[in-house]
Amino acid sequence: MSATLRPSGALKSYIGERDEVQVESGRTVRETLVLLGIPPEIIALVVVNGEQQAKDYVIQEGDTIKALAVIGGG
Amino acid sequence: MLNGYGGQILRVNLTEGKISKEPTPPELARDFIGGRGFGAYFLFKEVPKGADPLGAQNKLIISSGPFSGMLVPGGGKCDWTTKSPLTGGYASASLGGHFTAEMKYAGLDSIILEGISPKPVYLFIEDDKIELRDAADLWGKGAIQVEKQFKDKLGEEYQVAVIGPGGEKLVSYASINHDYGRQAGRGGVGTVMGVKKVKAIVIRGTRSVPVADKEAYRQAGMALYKACKEAEFLPEWTRYGTTVVTSWCDEVGALPTRNFSAGSFEGGKTLYGPVMRETIVITDKGCFGCPSPCGKYSRSKKYNLEVEGPEYETIGMMGSNLGISDIEAVAKLNLLCDDLGIDTISAGSAIGWAMECYEKGIFTQKDTDGLDLKFGNVEAAFSLVEKIANKEGLGALLSEGVKKASKKIGQGSEKFAIHVKGMEQSAYATHNATAMLISYMTSDVGAHHNRAWAITYDLQVGRDKVVPEKVARVIWLQNFRPMFDVLGGCRLQWVELGIDRDLYVPAIEAITGIRRTWEDLEKTGERIWNLTRLFWARENEDFGREWDMPAPRFYEEPPTTGVTKGQITKLEDVNKLLDMYYEQRGWTSEGMPTSAKLEQLGMAELVA
Repeated sequence: MSATLRPSGALKSYIGERDEVQVESGRTVRETLVLLGIPPEIIALVVVNGEQQAKDYVIQEGDTIKALAVIGGG
Repeated sequence: MLNGYGGQILRVNLTEGKISKEPTPPELARDFIGGRGFGAYFLFKEVPKGADPLGAQNKLIISSGPFSGMLVPGGGKCDWTTKSPLTGGYASASLGGHFTAEMKYAGLDSIILEGISPKPVYLFIEDDKIELRDAADLWGKGAIQVEKQFKDKLGEEYQVAVIGPGGEKLVSYASINHDYGRQAGRGGVGTVMGVKKVKAIVIRGTRSVPVADKEAYRQAGMALYKACKEAEFLPEWTRYGTTVVTSWCDEVGALPTRNFSAGSFEGGKTLYGPVMRETIVITDKGCFGCPSPCGKYSRSKKYNLEVEGPEYETIGMMGSNLGISDIEAVAKLNLLCDDLGIDTISAGSAIGWAMECYEKGIFTQKDTDGLDLKFGNVEAAFSLVEKIANKEGLGALLSEGVKKASKKIGQGSEKFAIHVKGMEQSAYATHNATAMLISYMTSDVGAHHNRAWAITYDLQVGRDKVVPEKVARVIWLQNFRPMFDVLGGCRLQWVELGIDRDLYVPAIEAITGIRRTWEDLEKTGERIWNLTRLFWARENEDFGREWDMPAPRFYEEPPTTGVTKGQITKLEDVNKLLDMYYEQRGWTSEGMPTSAKLEQLGMAELVA
């Protein structure tokens, strides 16, 4: 039961500089981010399978989740 | 021949109708590079101390940079600098679109408008054919209508920068409109164009630009475009543009709500980027050479209009800040401001302030020309925008900006006039975001976000923390980020797409023949920052620490609703932030550059 989370560039440091990480389905995006140690409030946009979703979206098996942080700019 | 430059400075003496050109000094290009650097230099050196912003001695300086019109992503920016009629200090507004490319191809690095024309004119530039032409029949017309008129007559390849009635009537925050929906918006650059009686600048150039190393230039440019095209979040940034951050600001309590009395808006959801995209956006629109077009063209069926926008700043200032949750109403306010030629940020702030005065009983319907100025009253907001641009009734007071308006009205209204140095704060609420707060407090034009968008850093390190690292981050951003405005490029590919900034270094070298690392560029940024600070001090006798203070709302009045409910930055912390900032800048406790700092930056002679 897994899905793929792909964080934007500046967030990769939270997952060991990897491009993506496998996450469990059945949790919300927000809960998943917290488990990974990524503060949800720095995520501006969550895109699941190409569609924008809220952080309360419950992850389904096989989903590809992109999390866009706004920390890289400034 | 100056590689990467048009090679000439154009001077237009409007009083005498005299037009002249001079070669761009190589040492100016070496030390100030272009764009905002050229603007700051000419302003400091050529506008005499004490010049009236609305007098003949003030100048309007328009400058392209080495990236303008070149094979560099976002090379569509130019800088508009003047002594601000809104603040009495330094004003510099960045304009996107296609104007700067035509400047470059016409061989112009700066256009300097001097004096005051005795009658309305427009400046026509087609390579070496440069003329002041009569604009009597254009005076009084809307900016969008005038641009269309020129394009219909001359063709799409001519670029037009034009003021609306707000600029003609000298609204203190009049903007300059271009490409139908792009503006040099802040600080009253359009006001200065208006007082000079220049309705428009129409420009077309056909020359090539000399570059130092053509093959290296091609390679460096292609590497930058490739990085943009491969950026993982390019589709999302293109789809939503700056409105990506609307929902995020609401979520973290940074969305200005009812004149910045809160940072989250109960009606915010209908203003979010995805809602806007689905309901009103019809296409994307980019500036010259842009691989990630952030502009959104929208159509409102409700109001029967089309407009470029609204962007995040306009959504924040003319949506939530006015208690308005209808994105179509925001689109209409956006179009009204663009066509009338006034800045949406300052206008949104002025109307928000007036609405709060009304709700508090400081204004009654007698003061508002009968308008029921409650937050959320869309029709009243439409009406007030027109009144501001035409300086009618309450609009005349609001056209002066919230600092002057609140001083006239008093009754405590100064406390909720949201500005720094007289410039209305842009769309980030800073009740509990100390890095963004010090960024606004110390920005070189007043409370504008584009120098250091530090609010993200607040979220990273703890929003209420008052630590030297935050101040250091803001100073680094202030030195580095405006270098895009110096180079004539757009910073959004770096901010949004996360492009490695080192990719720009070979492009600068290939174009100009001068190798500049980011360390060198940041040093230039620091010199310009100190120069503009000295300009503020020279032009304002009482300039000092007090000028850097934020609106009292952010240290006295915690929001009673939303995510930041009950949160505030203590006055003691505001002062601590300033102390740290001055110390790290090498300035005195009153915020003035020390002679040692100026010596270290090699500026002692320049400012003597």
